[in-house]
Amino acid sequence: MVVVDISELNYTYPAAVTPALNGVSLQVEQGEFLAIVGNNGAGKSTLCYALAGFVPHYFKGRLHGKVLVTGLDTQKVSLGELVIRVGLAFQNPFNQITGAKYTVFEEIAFGLENIGVPREQMWKRIETAMELTGITDLKDRSPYSLSGGQQQRVALASILVMEPKVLVLDEPTSQLDPVGSREVFQVIKEMSERGLTVILVEHKVEWIAQYADRVVALHEGQILIEGKPRDVLTSPLLSERGFGLSRYTMAAREAREGKLWPAGLILPVTLQEAVDGFSRQKK
Amino acid sequence: MTTSISLYIPGDSGLHRLYPITKLLLALALTLGGFIFPVTWASYVIFLGIILPISIWGGIWKQMVWAVWKIVLPFAISIFLIQGLFWGSGTVLFYIGPLSVEKDGIAFAFASVGRILLVIGSFLMLAMTTRPDLLMNALAKLGIPGAITYIVVTTIQIIPRFQAKAATIIDAQRSRGLKTEGNFLQRARSLTPLVLPLVLSSLVDVEERAIAIEARAFNAPGPKTILIDSVDTQNQRIARYIMVIIIILMIGLRLWWLLTSAN
Repeated sequence: MVVVDISELNYTYPAAVTPALNGVSLQVEQGEFLAIVGNNGAGKSTLCYALAGFVPHYFKGRLHGKVLVTGLDTQKVSLGELVIRVGLAFQNPFNQITGAKYTVFEEIAFGLENIGVPREQMWKRIETAMELTGITDLKDRSPYSLSGGQQQRVALASILVMEPKVLVLDEPTSQLDPVGSREVFQVIKEMSERGLTVILVEHKVEWIAQYADRVVALHEGQILIEGKPRDVLTSPLLSERGFGLSRYTMAAREAREGKLWPAGLILPVTLQEAVDGFSRQKK
Repeated sequence: MTTSISLYIPGDSGLHRLYPITKLLLALALTLGGFIFPVTWASYVIFLGIILPISIWGGIWKQMVWAVWKIVLPFAISIFLIQGLFWGSGTVLFYIGPLSVEKDGIAFAFASVGRILLVIGSFLMLAMTTRPDLLMNALAKLGIPGAITYIVVTTIQIIPRFQAKAATIIDAQRSRGLKTEGNFLQRARSLTPLVLPLVLSSLVDVEERAIAIEARAFNAPGPKTILIDSVDTQNQRIARYIMVIIIILMIGLRLWWLLTSAN
């Protein structure tokens, strides 16, 4: 079943001349884990906002084409209808904390209060969301006393508690240290394995290569290439445009020049793939 | 462990347990009292006679008095200097060089400082014993729009973050050679490269935060629920009605005085 169906999406921010998205068409299946890569200004965040309805409801601007999420046309339904179906989380953990709540538990309740979930149901749902994100032991702490990785997991729990159909994450680990990133990635992987549709914008290509089902590369508002992670992330199309390749890909590419990489084998993205390739060549 | 980011001082006193709106009305009534009664010492009587005992009951009087002292003292000094030296006519108390200090100038300064004392004191009495989120919930129940209560509650919480951000910007600009010390002119010149990044980055933060709370259905139509509600009692409800009547009476009295004195 297709959960997200974007066709010929063109979008220009108010007061901008060039479109941020220019003829993007994309389908995402129920339960799929889709990663989006691209340079700054490629339109990654705009695409996230379009999926969650913030484009055009919040940002205004000019939109052509269609975005269907769980069968709803995002231009026709209100933002309030959309946010309970599409959970959106982004970079800065601090800015996602409401600042109006005293404990982590209450922070997570914020969304449920807004959509009028009865109090008896809230407890169960909040506890489940805290377990999923591994923050149960933080529930009485102030959200402001937490580390970046913990705050980001609180932000994820606050979104997950609303039981969205699609999870849209815009570089959720870019402001975190390695430990924090690992904690957040763990939660994303877990959610994907549980069957939630995940759309993730991320620069850490090694991680994407391991867990994403499909990768879309955006460039100047258009889809440059899409397909299996390893095919997309090692594509010359990407390196020509200055995308960040993983260090394993770069090492293997150099090795290929000196005939040290198995002929005909696709370049690696992750450490494991590199080890496999090099040991095959050794034999 | 909870880092305190608001003025709230955790506690379990009777004052802490009062329904937030009861405290809000009390603070409002006490403040108005100082502005209405036409004697210069009214504010001092209310502060010492009512706010201080209540704060002792709430176990926060030390922090309250300390904060009041820090906030009011600079105001008091400048008000006494300016009103005392440059304002007033009539009975001259004494001279400082060519400047005369008049009796009504000092009286005016005395009353003004009293009012500042009262406003700060009653606000702190409320803020130090009331969890901001519970105040927000209580206001929302009265039908005040969520956007307004959200702004009021979060503004106080954002201040420490704002300070931290300002410190980062000062460090960053200093490391690039900006002189933030020296005479008045040098300091004034260094203001733009400090204030501009602070304002711009704060605006970006505000936008992100707006999207984040929107993503959590802040503006969703339909009824909302409240997870944690404060305990209200029949006695407090009666007390609130009485305070509302007193507030209205005080405003009425003031208007009546104004009208009669105009004739």
